Amino acid sequence: KTSFNCIFNVSFSLRFKPFRRRPLPAQRKYMRSPLTPEMATQEVQLNETLAHLKTESETLKSKLEEERAKLHDVELHQVAEKVEGLGQFVMKTRRTLKGHGNKVLCMDWCKDKRRIVSSSQDGKVIVWDAFTTNKEHAVTMPCTWVMACAYAPSGCAVACGGLDNKCSVYPLSLDKNENLAAKKKSVAMHTNYLSACSFTNSDMQILTSSGDGTCALWDVESGQLLQSFHGHAADVLCLDLAPSETGNTFVSGGCDKKANVWDMRSGQCIQSFETHESDINSVRYYPSGDAFASGSDDATCRLYDLRADREVAIYSKESIIFGVSSVDFSLSGRLLFGGYNDYTINVWDVLKGTRVSILFGHENRVSTLRVSPDGTAFCTGSWDHTLRIWA
Amino acid sequence: MSSVKANSNSVVQTQKLVDQLRVEAGMERIKISLTAADLVHYCQEHRRSDPLITGIAASSNPFKDKKTCVLL
Repeated sequence: KTSFNCIFNVSFSLRFKPFRRRPLPAQRKYMRSPLTPEMATQEVQLNETLAHLKTESETLKSKLEEERAKLHDVELHQVAEKVEGLGQFVMKTRRTLKGHGNKVLCMDWCKDKRRIVSSSQDGKVIVWDAFTTNKEHAVTMPCTWVMACAYAPSGCAVACGGLDNKCSVYPLSLDKNENLAAKKKSVAMHTNYLSACSFTNSDMQILTSSGDGTCALWDVESGQLLQSFHGHAADVLCLDLAPSETGNTFVSGGCDKKANVWDMRSGQCIQSFETHESDINSVRYYPSGDAFASGSDDATCRLYDLRADREVAIYSKESIIFGVSSVDFSLSGRLLFGGYNDYTINVWDVLKGTRVSILFGHENRVSTLRVSPDGTAFCTGSWDHTLRIWA
Repeated sequence: MSSVKANSNSVVQTQKLVDQLRVEAGMERIKISLTAADLVHYCQEHRRSDPLITGIAASSNPFKDKKTCVLL
């Protein structure tokens, strides 16, 4: 299968995702060639082994379900009954960042709480000062659909990538006239589009996820692959690193409807959750690191508790039928913000499971959403070519 | 490709699945009543330092408009 198999699968349905591929097909049965006696016994043995393994996997799966069900002694919103409700929220657009010539696909905050990097379908990556709305840097990538971008922890570089299947790092120069593209460093190489990227605790390592079904950890300086993560059965669309205090793990979500938690050192998948009914577009850790939220094309956001090893809340309404593209928590974890394909932002009370507010403003899908590092505001990017800062 | 090879690939794949399931099954799990209580506790503890919940004065939020001055 070529990687562009579904690129023009323009169905104009609710889920317009040109580059997403279907899950890998099951093994095909091949025509039998004449068997020698040795091959015949070999085949019988293999079939027996296969049958045993399949029974064992079924037993393990039901055991897992049983174990998880045993711990389901109460619902999150029941535990949160005594918590006082949240008041009325008045959040408005405080800044509109205009300058992209096409759909904004991704954005990230700088640790200085004022700068933002954003990337777009037209291949442009722009660094903004969110206070003044001024553009500080602009780079034109050699490809369109720059689906991922990230700010380095030091604030001195940005990483981005998309249809070029790579993740490149651009050091930011203080000299506004300098050509950033000249200092570009290619770090990651995947065999399909780059869907998300994130620096780890330092500027030295980058974690990427790709349409090729894998995630990978790279050394920025040498471009060396440090660890790869296999386990998703289809495109991986998003990832998030655990808060640094909780250790070396990250969570990823994909078109196979699974959210996987990985050990960064061993490459092992340590937990897996499959309750969504469609692609998982966004995953984000709860600030304490003990849980994570996900947003999906099935129009729901869900909260998964890592220590109970199960889903503990669903954030949905019958009136919400469009997919969630992006989620993020407020600083305390009490609020969950979701950017939706129906152009709105829904704000959820994480503990009680109710919707607190719905925000209007964008004129097309909200494609990306991040709360600022100090929690004073959040930024959204949209297919309407703009970014908005809300507070 | 002979059916033997196709089957041995299936065996390798299913073995990987079984290994993965064994790892996941061996995990220590905690009851939701306890873990949920921790989530609630975390929210309550950090509530005051969450600007989007408590709201901070317009003068200290760089994104909110300052009140206009009136020149006397």
